[in-house]
Amino acid sequence: MNPSVEVENVSKIYPQGETEVRALNGLSLAIQPGEFTAICGPSGSGKTTLLNLMGALDKPTSGEVRVDGQRLAELGRRELSHLRRDRIGFVFQAYNLIPVLTAYENAEMVLRLQGAEEGDRRDRVMAVLADVGLSGLEDRRPDQLSGGQQQRVAIARAIASNPAVVLADEPTANVDSDTADRLLEIMEKLNRERGDTFVFSTHDPRVLERARRVVRIVDGQIEDDQTRA
Amino acid sequence: MEVFKMAWRNVWRNRRRSLTTISAMSFALLMMLLLSGLFEGMLLTMERDIVELEVGDIQIFAGDYRVNPSIYTRIQEPDGILGPLDDAGFPASDRLLAFGLAASDESSAGASFRGVDVERDARVSRVYREIEAGHWLDPADPAGVVIGKGLARSLSVEVGGEILVLSQAADGTMAYELYRVRGVLKSVGAAVDRTAVFMNQPTFRALMAVPDGVHQIIVRRPEGVELPAAEIQVSALASPLEVKSWRNLLPTLASYLDSARGMVGFIFFIFYLAIGILLLNSMLMAVFERIREFGVLKAIGVGPLSVMGLILAETAIQTGIALFCGIALSLPGLYYLSTAGVNIAAMASVSMMGASFSPVWKALFTPSIFSAPISVLLVVVVVAVLYPATKAAWIQPIAAMEHR
Repeated sequence: MNPSVEVENVSKIYPQGETEVRALNGLSLAIQPGEFTAICGPSGSGKTTLLNLMGALDKPTSGEVRVDGQRLAELGRRELSHLRRDRIGFVFQAYNLIPVLTAYENAEMVLRLQGAEEGDRRDRVMAVLADVGLSGLEDRRPDQLSGGQQQRVAIARAIASNPAVVLADEPTANVDSDTADRLLEIMEKLNRERGDTFVFSTHDPRVLERARRVVRIVDGQIEDDQTRA
Repeated sequence: MEVFKMAWRNVWRNRRRSLTTISAMSFALLMMLLLSGLFEGMLLTMERDIVELEVGDIQIFAGDYRVNPSIYTRIQEPDGILGPLDDAGFPASDRLLAFGLAASDESSAGASFRGVDVERDARVSRVYREIEAGHWLDPADPAGVVIGKGLARSLSVEVGGEILVLSQAADGTMAYELYRVRGVLKSVGAAVDRTAVFMNQPTFRALMAVPDGVHQIIVRRPEGVELPAAEIQVSALASPLEVKSWRNLLPTLASYLDSARGMVGFIFFIFYLAIGILLLNSMLMAVFERIREFGVLKAIGVGPLSVMGLILAETAIQTGIALFCGIALSLPGLYYLSTAGVNIAAMASVSMMGASFSPVWKALFTPSIFSAPISVLLVVVVVAVLYPATKAAWIQPIAAMEHR
C-alpha cells in the first residue's frame, strides 16, 4: 500500500532580502494510512512549511512530495487544486470556516465541490457531524458556535470526503484545555474507528501525549522519529 | 459550491457597505435616465422643430437655386417628382419663393413670399398650427395672407389689416398687389418671423407671373427611415435635381446638436467614472477583508473560476438591485418630465442660430432611453469588478491565509 503522504529529501528555501532562509533541509518522511502523527519542534523549525508541502499548498525547492502515490511535481495548478479537494483534509489553527455558511454547509462544501449526489452528501455530512458531536447544531453559522464547536466543524469538513490524510496545523492552539482534550478525543476516535489518517503540527503536549508517532524537527531536519506501540 | 447562495449572503454580510454601493449605483442610474431622457427629448424636440416648422427633412431644388435664388430657376415638372415621392411614402410639398417689399400705411420692409399648396404643406410642416392671431391660409380666400410675427410688428399691422406687396414679376413687369392679413404666426424662426408672407400658390402665380414650375420641394421622411437613407432614396427619385438634407442646409445647427450629444456623453462619462471608482473601492474592500477566506476556499480545492464567479455574482446581485431601484425610481420622474416637461422660457432664449424652438423641454420616455445608461452601467460594473475578482481568483492559498 502507498504511504498516504511521502516526502523525500525535501528542501525549502525562502529568499529573505539578500539572504536565504532554509526552512527544510533534505527532509524525508512517510506517513502511512491510519497513522496519528504529531510533528513537533521549536518555532521556525519548519513544521508548518512541511505541512504546507504535504498539503500541496506550496512547492519544495528540491526533493519530491507524493500524496497517495501521486507525484505533486507532475501536477499543474488545476490538478493540484483537485488533489487538495479529493485527497487532503485541512484543519487550521484559526478554524477558517466560511462565515456565511452553516455548520452543515461548511462540512458539505468539499463534497459539493466533488459533485457528490445530494442524498449521499446529506448522509455523509450528517454522519460526520454526529461523529464530531455536532448533531442538532447543523443550521448554526460559525458566529453562533463556540471556538471548540467551530473547530469540530472544521474537522467534519476535513474528513467528510474521506481524504488520504488530514493535515491539522496547531488545531488546539486557539481553544481551552478542556476543549482541546475533547477535540483530540474526537480525532482519536475518528482515527481509530474510521481509519482517518491525521498529521498534526503542534507544540501542545496533550497532542504529543496522544499521538502514536511523534516526529521532532529541528532546523528543517528530523531530529527524532518515535512510534509508540 | 452554491455560488449564488454564498454571494447573496456575502452581499448582506456588510449590509451598510452593500447598501451604500447599491444606493450609489441606483442614484447614478436614476440621474442618467432622467438626464438622458431630458437631453434626448430636448435634442429631438429641437431637431423636430427645425424639421417640422420650416426646413423639412430634405429639400429639392432646381439647378443652382439654393446658391443663387432666382425666380426663373424652377423645377419644371414638380408632379413628376411629387408623384413618385408619394408612392414611396415620403410626404412632400412644393413651394414657390420670391423676394420683394411689403408695405403698410405706416412703413415698409423686405419680405420673402412663399406660395404654398395648403393641403400638401400641412403634410410636411406644422407652421399652419403656429398661428398667434387669426387663421392659416384658406384656398377659398385667395387675397388672404399670413405673415411673420416680426414683419407684422415692423409694418404695424394686425389681423384684418392690409399690406401691399411689391416685386419684379417673372415676366419683367412690376408685381404689386394689396392683400389682407388673415393670420400672424408665432415665432418659428428668425427669417420667417422677420420677412415671411405666406400665400396660396394660385395667388403667388398670379402675382409673380409664374405659370408653372416650383422653386422648392420640401420632403419629410417616413417613420423609421434614417436621414442618410432617406436622402439617398429621394436623390434617386429626384435626379438630376439638387437634394439636400436639413443637416446640409443648416450645418451649424446640425453640428451644435451633435456637440450637445457629445456633451451629454461627457456628463455620462464623469458620472460613470465616479461610480466605477466607488464600485472598485467597494469590491476591493470586500475582497481584501475576506482574503483569508479566499485562501481557505482555494486550499480546500475551490477553483479560481469559482472564486471569480462568486465575486461576479456578488456584484451582479448588487447591480441587479440597483438596476431595479434606479429604473423604478426613474419611471414617475420620466413620466412627469415627458408630460409636463420643464419650461425654460424664463431661463433661456428659445431661438438659436435663426431657428426657434419649443420653450417646453420635455423628456423622451421610450425604451431606447433606458438602453444606453443601463448598458454603460453594466460595462462600468464589469470593468470595475474585474480587478478585485481576478485578484481573489488567482490568490495563492498560503499567502492569503497568512494575510493580516
